[in-house]
Amino acid sequence: MRLRNFFDSLLIGILWLSGLFILLILLAIIVYLVWRGGPFVSMEFLLTSPKGLPLGSEGGVFPAIKGTLWLIGLALAWSLLPALATAIYLSEYHDNSRIATLINLLIQSMAGVPSIVIGLFVYALGVVALGWGISLLAGSLALAIMIFPVLAISSRDALQAIDQDYRLVATSLGVGNSYTLLRIVLPQAVPGILAGILLATGYAAGATAPIMVTAAAIIANSSGVLLEPVMALPYHLYILFNEHISLDQAYATALVLVGLLLIINFLALWLQRLSERTNAQ
Amino acid sequence: MNAVELINFNSQYSRNKVLRNINLIFAPNAITAIIGPSGCGKTTLLRSINRTAEMESSYKNQGDIKVLGQSVFTIKDVSRVRRQVGLVYQTPIALPFSIKENVLFGPKYYGEKKPANLNFILEDCLQKAALWDEVKDRLDKPASQLSGGQKQRLAIARTLAVKPQVLLLDEPCSSLDPASTGLIEELLQSLAHELTIIIVTHNLFQARRIANETVFILDGEVIEKGPTETLFTSPVSEKTKNFTAGLFG
Repeated sequence: MRLRNFFDSLLIGILWLSGLFILLILLAIIVYLVWRGGPFVSMEFLLTSPKGLPLGSEGGVFPAIKGTLWLIGLALAWSLLPALATAIYLSEYHDNSRIATLINLLIQSMAGVPSIVIGLFVYALGVVALGWGISLLAGSLALAIMIFPVLAISSRDALQAIDQDYRLVATSLGVGNSYTLLRIVLPQAVPGILAGILLATGYAAGATAPIMVTAAAIIANSSGVLLEPVMALPYHLYILFNEHISLDQAYATALVLVGLLLIINFLALWLQRLSERTNAQ
Repeated sequence: MNAVELINFNSQYSRNKVLRNINLIFAPNAITAIIGPSGCGKTTLLRSINRTAEMESSYKNQGDIKVLGQSVFTIKDVSRVRRQVGLVYQTPIALPFSIKENVLFGPKYYGEKKPANLNFILEDCLQKAALWDEVKDRLDKPASQLSGGQKQRLAIARTLAVKPQVLLLDEPCSSLDPASTGLIEELLQSLAHELTIIIVTHNLFQARRIANETVFILDGEVIEKGPTETLFTSPVSEKTKNFTAGLFG
């Protein structure tokens, strides 16, 4: 009995330590970024374009912030509705489970495609064959393809997690599927779907490979014109590092990228609270 | 006219026969209890009547079920059958809304918009479900805050709100305490003046307390049906005698 108690506490201890370890690594990353990049982040850095010679050694990252926001926003715009529709079909409507199994398999395979391959595909199709050139449109499309499986799977799971009894009650009142979906299932699943969107946003914001060959430029206005190239934070970061332009600027850029993701996360949390409050009524 | 009538009714999940050759007549404005050991097909019988059993893709049936003289299988719009034949489940289920919205979920779906009518339905159904006095001051509070017994009465009110003619209950009191059970039994007895009630129960005492007639089902077959007192005191079948005496169950 005493031995069993000992193993219980040992197990809890190990679980605690692993959690703590991850937290420490996360904290270390942020602290390191603040330490190395913090002094170089200023209003000027946030609000001006890259300057100097080589380009980027001075000035700021404003167009890269704008570009990243455009890329994320458009990628979500392209993929959210198809992903939600797929998720709703998979969780609510499939009578033929063979088709559902096939779709699930496809989505899983899609999640396994390396992002650079997606980038090359969109390059071949959009940039070259359709003549869009290196552009916001092509880049956001590549990111949309990349985040589609994340969105579809997380939304599907969020919908499936809703108590089956609610659907049963609604059906036995004679209430139709779509009404039940809109009034009960979807509102209940909003927090889960939102969590998926967040995950996808972070994934898209940090992805460099798919935009390298489709959208990103070393310098651009990033004013949201679909057929023009854009700057993006991860690509800018990559160039600053890879071309040894300025380590200080690189760390500052990394800090801005992390900060941007944190802000998006907080916004989503706030939205989630808001929707929970309206749901409760 | 008979409220519910099953004619040579058989049903199965895949190859597993659940109900065999059921011929039953349920009288209007009365309570009929269905008793029998677990797995004998009681729940499938209820779900077949309001056609929710068909949601299971392996489910098949033969024979006919008539509600108020009309075969439920000839009605194209299956939701009409389900509305006509309400079903209350074993576990009390509160939809993730306020108490008020739980009751009005059905009526709103069926297009009732006038606040006066909605308020009337709300109070009327909660009164009938013997819940009004307990919740009238907190209609806008989440229904999840209610106790198990209250949730079950809310489920009954929600079902009544779409004006069913037949009310099916699948062991509605199995997770409730004796006081809540008593309340529900009382309200069922008063509802029986205007509704046909069919209740599946594991509790033989409950069947005896509230049911006008009782049906005993074993292995998917009707063994005996009759006035409750007769079935319990002088059953025709040896099996019924053993079951009601508690020899198996």
